[in-house]
Amino acid sequence: MRLHHDEGLMGRVREHFDWTLFITVAALAVVGVINLYSATSVARGGHAEDYIQQIYWLVGGGIIATVIAAIDYRHYERLGYVLYASGVISLLLVFILGREIRGSSRWIYIGSYSFQPSEFMKLFLVIALAKYLHDDPKSEGRTLRDLVAPAIIAAIPTALVLLQPDLGTALILVLVFVSICALTRVQTKSLLWLGAVGVIVATAFWSYGLRGYQNERITAWLNPNENILGYNWDPHQARIAVGNGGWLGQGFMRGSQNQFLFLHEQHSDFPFPVFAEEWGFVGSVALVTLYALLVLWCLRVAASAKDRFGAVLAVGVGSVVFWHAVFNLGMATGLLPIVGVTLPLFSYGGSSVMTVLVGVGFVMNVSMRRFYASPVRASQLF
Amino acid sequence: MTNFLVPRSDVGEFRRRYRWMALAASIAFLIILGRLFQLQALDGAAYSTIAHENIIRRMVLSTTRGVIRDANGKVLASSRPSYDVEIVPGRVMPSARPVHYRNGQPIVRDPDSWPRLAEILRLNPEERRTFDARIRAACVSDDDKSPCWHTPILVREDVPRDTVAELKQHHDELAGVDVVGVPVRFYPYKSLGAHMLGYVAEVDPEALAKVRPHGYEDLSREEQQRNNPLGYEAGDTVGATGIERAWESYLRGQRGWEKRVVDARGRYRTGPAAEDLVDPPARLDPIPGRDLRLSIDADLEQAIDKAMRPHAAGAVVVVDVRTGRLLALYSKPDFDPNDLSGGAGHARVREAFSRLYADPLRPMLDKTMSGAFQPGSTMKPFSALAALEDHVVDPDHTEKCEGYVVFGRRIFRCSHVHGSVRLREAIARSCNVYFFHLAEAVGMDRIARVAQSFGLGEKTGLGINPESPGRIPTRSWYALRYRGQFRVGFTLNMAIGEGDVTVTPLQLAMAYAAIANGGTLYQPQVVRSVETSDGAVVQEFPPRTRRQVPVPAEDLRRVTDALFDVVNDPNGTAYPARDPSLDVAGKTGTAQTGYVAKKEEEPKLSSFLSQNHAWFSSFAPAHSPEVAVTVLVEHGGSGPEVAVPVAMQIVHEYERLQAVRLGRPMSAKVPTVKAKGPGGKP
Repeated sequence: MRLHHDEGLMGRVREHFDWTLFITVAALAVVGVINLYSATSVARGGHAEDYIQQIYWLVGGGIIATVIAAIDYRHYERLGYVLYASGVISLLLVFILGREIRGSSRWIYIGSYSFQPSEFMKLFLVIALAKYLHDDPKSEGRTLRDLVAPAIIAAIPTALVLLQPDLGTALILVLVFVSICALTRVQTKSLLWLGAVGVIVATAFWSYGLRGYQNERITAWLNPNENILGYNWDPHQARIAVGNGGWLGQGFMRGSQNQFLFLHEQHSDFPFPVFAEEWGFVGSVALVTLYALLVLWCLRVAASAKDRFGAVLAVGVGSVVFWHAVFNLGMATGLLPIVGVTLPLFSYGGSSVMTVLVGVGFVMNVSMRRFYASPVRASQLF
Repeated sequence: MTNFLVPRSDVGEFRRRYRWMALAASIAFLIILGRLFQLQALDGAAYSTIAHENIIRRMVLSTTRGVIRDANGKVLASSRPSYDVEIVPGRVMPSARPVHYRNGQPIVRDPDSWPRLAEILRLNPEERRTFDARIRAACVSDDDKSPCWHTPILVREDVPRDTVAELKQHHDELAGVDVVGVPVRFYPYKSLGAHMLGYVAEVDPEALAKVRPHGYEDLSREEQQRNNPLGYEAGDTVGATGIERAWESYLRGQRGWEKRVVDARGRYRTGPAAEDLVDPPARLDPIPGRDLRLSIDADLEQAIDKAMRPHAAGAVVVVDVRTGRLLALYSKPDFDPNDLSGGAGHARVREAFSRLYADPLRPMLDKTMSGAFQPGSTMKPFSALAALEDHVVDPDHTEKCEGYVVFGRRIFRCSHVHGSVRLREAIARSCNVYFFHLAEAVGMDRIARVAQSFGLGEKTGLGINPESPGRIPTRSWYALRYRGQFRVGFTLNMAIGEGDVTVTPLQLAMAYAAIANGGTLYQPQVVRSVETSDGAVVQEFPPRTRRQVPVPAEDLRRVTDALFDVVNDPNGTAYPARDPSLDVAGKTGTAQTGYVAKKEEEPKLSSFLSQNHAWFSSFAPAHSPEVAVTVLVEHGGSGPEVAVPVAMQIVHEYERLQAVRLGRPMSAKVPTVKAKGPGGKP
């Protein structure tokens, strides 16, 4: 590989570095660690040190993201399907090497480290779809036939993840695919067909594909005041915690719902109620605004991208963040049933943190290279 | 250079989409913000209340049940702490819980404390296995809501104090072991006066369901108070019989509460940070139960127990004739209320009950008021009063007793051949023949009316145990029962307290008290006053008169003279067994029980049950009566031989106790009045 485009790297970094993206993500990460400290300060089972581990992962993820941002994203475009294939293989490895935890195998263990391939798969799917759309630059409306290939690209990892089973991640994969498709122009007729098929598949899945606990979660969501000592405990107590925050919150480390152990899974599924209880409506608005800013910024980066690969990459990463945030906040506030979806940079977990940071690295990459085609600055750059 | 990598692709297709996507994302986030506004800004206060209720638990502060004391302040019933050992399954045996993994490694669990506890409590291998199985069953799952954490298992009840000390000493090694102090009712005199005092028991679910109907928990505090004024909860002790039950509302006291901070697993949190979270009022002090001061004299009860020792079954009532206050209520055989009140564990209670209910002598029956017996000749004074009323029979009229008398085709027998007797001798010597003639002249209904006016055949209203009304039959009663075939024999039997006449010892004692005090029928009372736990009198119960019996003083005098003769005339039935140092008047009775032996009964029991009831109903001192003493020895045989000595001992002890307490000399009998009755005083 020729490295001459690395000339003037520092200068380009200074000029083209996306400070908004960086500051938004950094703010989320810092607040996330602080919140994790409070959330796990009362947890039993050795979670109390999780925030330190989370810092390690953030630092590690930051370094990897920096490296990823530094290499022109078109290199990834070339490797697109290779990366995708490695992701699918690692998903298959889960079934061979994985160990079952609470009825599903999601982890691969390498030495004393473990990771969730399904997390990284989200990014690999985005890359693969980006490459596909990049290689297939249609300008007229797409027909159903045009969508078959990207649908297969999305369906393979989704099916594997469903088999683990990990409904939350599968849902995210589908929604990321849909979000990226929404970027393209599809014929109205095809769109109607797609809609019809989607409804049928969703209905069938709703009726026959859900497991016992998933049905229970949906029942719980539809009847929020029933069985609050049983399956509705978590959403009920989470809602109380959020409400208990009031306007200004109870103060850091002073949320009684968290301090007195009424919240469960506060390091994974429910970090937001901890935050909302401690910082109130004002803090919650600030946090939601940060997520909204991150998502909208990804769209902005996509809009300014100079090619399809970059645009789809930014939109894909943005949709990963968006759907995670919306689902997690939605379930924490009772708007949506419980699906095990993490809150980006708030939930504890190496794979999740790495995925988000690497994704942001991609967006940063696209953002920094948005000026390539500019005739004015091209001479300065190269 | 740009061409080295890949050709730039046209992004025109995407251009118009970004705005829509941004709009959709913004709407999604705005919906979330709206929801947050609803939860936090609009409903924040309500959720704060719920969150507060989550961590505040009203911890019940138990109250202590009132103490029952006798007339002289001796404690008859109080409470003592009993120490129960309970375990939290998941904490005493973490190894029973499912293994959890973290990053693939099993999470290390605390060591079991259970073997150490089993060692300290000296559980036998079988008990250990049983509890092992229960712990494992509880910890099949260890979710936060599993019985593994929330359902303590009771291992031992009422452990000795040195075991408690040992458990405290090894507290650090005994994770999950709780020693729970439970107040247990304690009766220091054990079985003495057991029927009268009663016992306490765990409130039964049916009674509880009445005061705590379905949905009780959701009622307001005022409604709860109205439904359940005494605040019963499952597992509470409640008076089951006797004074414990009748005076429950006084003895019980009122629970208090204290707000405590708890976490989701029900563990109490302490420290200033936690205490700041408690909103005022933080505490309602419990009100201890009221103490009762009885009119009962424990020393006298003990003397009665001693006097009744030779006899298997019976009842004694001692009542102050001047007030109607009961000095002793004694029923035999008895039971130890300590066994029934749960202090020694549920198994002990069950065992005691099964033993008591299997006993043919009916130890659970309060024979002073719940059992009705033929009074035998103790009925005669009332028949005599009926005869004297309106001068139906001239007291100086004589009847000749030849030992039997024939009415119609039946022969009615007397105990002896008494020869010519007047009313006075007839009572003193208990001549049935005289009373047969008397009955024939007086008629059933007149005798019944007089007997009833003295409270026989009706409940006294003491109300500490279910009272039997007894029965004073009348012609109309027989008409209903025998469909018009009234026979004069019914009247004859009734006059001597046989046949269908039954009374309770309590009724008889109250009636004799009325004879002794000039005709005032008192309401029997057993509680003298209600006191606070520091001894201040809250409520006193003055004597209550049921009625003034409409009987001429002259008639009463004749009868009391005759009753004096029963004991003091050499021909009197009680004379041989009298205590010459005592001034007693009374009437013996030997009542046939009408018992017909059943084949399935063992011969020993059968021969016992075929014996007559021995009665002696009396008052003393005869010349200025203070107490009436009624003694019933069930299946004891002859009244004069069996019941009189018991009564004499009781009166003797009464006099001795009075002498000690009041510092007065033993009231020596006035020797010269031997032939004169008490009514013969100037």
